[in-house]
Amino acid sequence: MLEVRNLTGPFVEQVITDVSLDVERGGTTLVLGPIHSGKSMIMRHIVGLEIATAGTVRVDGETFDATKRDERSLRRLRTKIGVVFEGSALVTRISAVENVELPLLEHTDVPSAEARDTARELLAEVGLAVDDDTTSEQLTRAGQRLVALARALALRPPLLLLDEPTQGLDAHAAAQLDETIRRLQEANGFGVVIFSHEVRHAFGGARQIYVLGEGRIIANGDRNALMASNHAVVRSLLHRRGTT
Amino acid sequence: MTAPPTRRPTPPPAALSRPLRTLEAAGGRFVGRSRLLGGALYWLFWRALSRRAAVSSGVVREIETLGLGALRLVVGASILVGLIATFQVAYQLKEYSAQSLSANTIGWFTARELGPLVAALIIVARSASAIAGEFASMAANGEIDAMRAMGLDPVKYLVAPKLAALLIVLPAMTIFAICFISVGVWIGNLLLGYTPNYILADIRNSLDIRDVLIGVGKSLIFGLVLGVIAADEGLSIERRVSAIGAAATRSVMFCMLAILAVDTFFNAVFYFIPGLV
Repeated sequence: MLEVRNLTGPFVEQVITDVSLDVERGGTTLVLGPIHSGKSMIMRHIVGLEIATAGTVRVDGETFDATKRDERSLRRLRTKIGVVFEGSALVTRISAVENVELPLLEHTDVPSAEARDTARELLAEVGLAVDDDTTSEQLTRAGQRLVALARALALRPPLLLLDEPTQGLDAHAAAQLDETIRRLQEANGFGVVIFSHEVRHAFGGARQIYVLGEGRIIANGDRNALMASNHAVVRSLLHRRGTT
Repeated sequence: MTAPPTRRPTPPPAALSRPLRTLEAAGGRFVGRSRLLGGALYWLFWRALSRRAAVSSGVVREIETLGLGALRLVVGASILVGLIATFQVAYQLKEYSAQSLSANTIGWFTARELGPLVAALIIVARSASAIAGEFASMAANGEIDAMRAMGLDPVKYLVAPKLAALLIVLPAMTIFAICFISVGVWIGNLLLGYTPNYILADIRNSLDIRDVLIGVGKSLIFGLVLGVIAADEGLSIERRVSAIGAAATRSVMFCMLAILAVDTFFNAVFYFIPGLV
């Protein structure tokens, strides 16, 4: 589903070095790391928002060179990946429904009325009932996150990336969002990659966990394997919660 | 046989390196803005020809924000400019006892020069910082990245609607400016003691349709300059909130300078190539 190989690229304070990930179809993978360890930057490189100095990204059988900014292949890549950014990153000058419509109008030939109906259905699927003219600023943070999720799934991509999806949500809203993602994943079969510092995701449905430290993968495995790790960073992340 | 040593390029003298870096940055910026202009014009044609409208096409909303909101300012400023021009020109012509020619003198200058400049500078003062600030805020909030990650071109969805609106608003405001500068000239000449009908006839005679068309033509170029510079300043900020204000300020500064530079170029061309238009 997703294979990232030897991804290397500069960012503000340190370099991402030789990052390789594998994500199964229908599975959930967690990229766990402290703040400023490079999680968001890895995600940005995967979707081509940053140019890497080395590495490839293979999504759904097609390989993309992460060192090149070829607009045509980036466009193809981006239709295969849905992204929920930290803070939702909704386009504030348009309504919530119009946010969800955007990818449909850009990448498909459906008439505008049909795109509008599909957007409304997607919002209903994620459990959000809004009027056509409701703006993102009128929604709660949890509501904005659901709109971002619906937008990311508009093209039914085989892969969904989420950057700190529950950041800023209370425990109840976070649990509801997790459940919504799990339900939609079961129904549609897409792969999920969560980039987060929140160790709670390691105790959710993540089958494979990659632990990031100083810009590189320092450990990977399932939860049980990592709980038994002696690596200082892994222990400080996973044992912080104090529960299994 | 050993290979000859590779010669490293000689660095420029220290006194020149800062100006050279500035020139290099300016050159890069010029290339970037030219590319932005090309992309925006492409999407403008696409919008004009495509039956598939973008989400909330937004051009009407932009016209309301950029144009209607500036109308009162343009009207007020134009009347004042007309008055100033009348008194200045009349003062100069007094020496030759030819104050009565002031309306006639100002007329062609109003259409070719004052009208488009007043309209453009008012729109710059009012809207260049707003455009740059809006785009900079979107960039700082990750909205631009989100659009790119969905395969959406920000130039198509954000820049092209603004440019389309400016290409309508600037010529319209120029026409308003020409009319209301003429009103200012009329009032000024009334204060100088001339009869209303005399002044009106003078203004009518001095305003040539060719001069008006030149003024409107310039305003289209001013609109492109304003749109591209303001958009580029907003879209190219670093992703931090503190960069928004700086982008807005630079936008106003560079738009004003660029419009004056373009106008200077036009004036030089029209002067040194008489009969061109």
